[in-house]
Amino acid sequence: MSDQLIKYVANMQEKEALALTKELLEAGVPPMEVLDDCRAAMDLVGKRFEKQEYFIPELILAGEILKSITAEVRPYIEGEEEAADAIPVVVGTVEGDIHDIGKDVVVFMLDINGFEVHDLGVDVPPQVFVDKVEETAASVVALSGFLTLSFDSMKETVEAIEAAGLRDGVRIMVGGGAVDEGVSEYAAADAYGGDAMAAVSLAKKWTGGNERG
Amino acid sequence: MAKNPLDKGKSNEKLLAERQQRLNDALQLEQPDRVPLFMPAGYLLAEYGGVTHAEQHHDFDTAQELLEEFALDFEPDSVLGLFNNPGPSLVLGDRMTKWPGKQLPENGSFQFDEHEFMKAEDYDDFLDDPSDWAIRTYLPRAFEKLDGFKFLPPFIMWCFGHYHLGNLPMYAAPPVQESLEALGNAIQVALKDAAHIGESTERMAALGFPPTFLAGALIEAPFDFMSDTLRGMRGIMLDIMRCPEKLLAAEQKALKYQLDFALSFCQATGLKRAFIPLHRGSDGFMSLEQFERFYWPQLKEMMVTLTEHDIMPICFYEGVWDQRLEYLADLPKGKTAGWFQRSDIFKVKDVVGDTMCIIGGMKNSLLKNGTVEKVRARTKELCERVGEGGGFIMSTGVGEMEGSDLELVRTWAEAAREFGAY
Repeated sequence: MSDQLIKYVANMQEKEALALTKELLEAGVPPMEVLDDCRAAMDLVGKRFEKQEYFIPELILAGEILKSITAEVRPYIEGEEEAADAIPVVVGTVEGDIHDIGKDVVVFMLDINGFEVHDLGVDVPPQVFVDKVEETAASVVALSGFLTLSFDSMKETVEAIEAAGLRDGVRIMVGGGAVDEGVSEYAAADAYGGDAMAAVSLAKKWTGGNERG
Repeated sequence: MAKNPLDKGKSNEKLLAERQQRLNDALQLEQPDRVPLFMPAGYLLAEYGGVTHAEQHHDFDTAQELLEEFALDFEPDSVLGLFNNPGPSLVLGDRMTKWPGKQLPENGSFQFDEHEFMKAEDYDDFLDDPSDWAIRTYLPRAFEKLDGFKFLPPFIMWCFGHYHLGNLPMYAAPPVQESLEALGNAIQVALKDAAHIGESTERMAALGFPPTFLAGALIEAPFDFMSDTLRGMRGIMLDIMRCPEKLLAAEQKALKYQLDFALSFCQATGLKRAFIPLHRGSDGFMSLEQFERFYWPQLKEMMVTLTEHDIMPICFYEGVWDQRLEYLADLPKGKTAGWFQRSDIFKVKDVVGDTMCIIGGMKNSLLKNGTVEKVRARTKELCERVGEGGGFIMSTGVGEMEGSDLELVRTWAEAAREFGAY
């Protein structure tokens, strides 16, 4: 465990973090240990985001630093190690809407809170949500939308999950742009989340927490 | 001729004058005879008339007839159809917009598809000569049909006067010629759109409806200018962290040249407003510290300079601004207006009610999924609390009423007249 690496990553010292990563790997530190440090740093980043010390710029830079470190580590890893059992969550921006900012922040926060996030991207048709829920046995679905047209897409997605006989097994949250409690009611979802932290607490409440967190 | 009891029997000329006065009073922070009602109908017009979104975009006559029918039916003080049209974008192969019936299904809704057209490594070139960079680097990246402009010689060569004319054959290269031709075609299409706007304005005025109060120069907060059509969300957020000084320098260019544009636009058209849709300054995107450095000072300078030239900036405060309303309270009183999408509208009234006209208040979700009672109650509360003392234009929070329940829209219009009287 390198406290220094955790500190560099969490404090947004990109160059220092990358240099130290190379140094550690060259010195024979196990690559998984480096990745564990990154995970610890991401937890800190997430906590600072929750406390409103960090905002989107830090979140995005943290993601970039993580990407660069992972690229450095990859050649040192032989065979993939599976992550611990995490609770699957399906996330996506509903059909007809291509906005991804809010959805991406929710994905990031769910991920660092230990959920196994299946990000379906944007403009996702209802059937794709249904298939993913079936495939992953996810018990939480998060529907994002920015435009007013997303109100109907959300409703259709919830209906499709219902029609597939999966509704009883999942809790569904909605959020983003023009979405509010009224939309959750209209779409027959289970809850509205105003921000990424709300998404995390809803997911935790519905699943009784998660393996890592 | 109006149907509603308050306006029954008034001529269209009188209705036009009264509506115009009502809107102007509210914008000037004064108290009109009643709270003006603004409906940014958008695609609701297509739903109202049973046509597709694509038809509404591509068929001016149909769209205009629906706008007229809708306006006469619901009798708002101001009404807006679609705020932009695909013509020039389609001619130029615009890579940042998606349109119903083209890249989207017939009933899809217009979307802005953000790209990183400017890379982080482009800052030095951008700062060195933004206009040259715009034409020779940005346009080929952003518009498929303007790809040929990348073969043009640097524009400063024109300062070589006579001696540059020997280089003119470079303009004859086939890709350059194709791009020039595409630009010429786009200009013709844009002229047709502009003629439609003129015709629409005249026809609406003849029916008693004033030109949209949002008409004016369309510009952006310098930060958003660098973000929306240049660096994209991911890029701009990384710039805050990785190259803050370059971002700030670029914002100064975006400030200077947009002001230059807005002032000459207003001079040429006689319009006295600038519409500034704000995107990345709301709560949640950046910290207050970052806001104070990268967003607010540049936007404030833009707005203050406009007001000094008697131009009223009307900002669309997208998202939630609850944590930063105090900054807005610093703006010159009665010289700007704010359309609030999702901020706590009552808090907005408390903090900036003495500073600017407030536009908004009605939740789109309520018009879609509410009840007559809930819509009436919300309208009443808005009239009483936000409308108190004037300076309020009732509107939906989102500038688009797609999917609204027409009976609830009717309820809203009637309630606004009933409860909006001063």
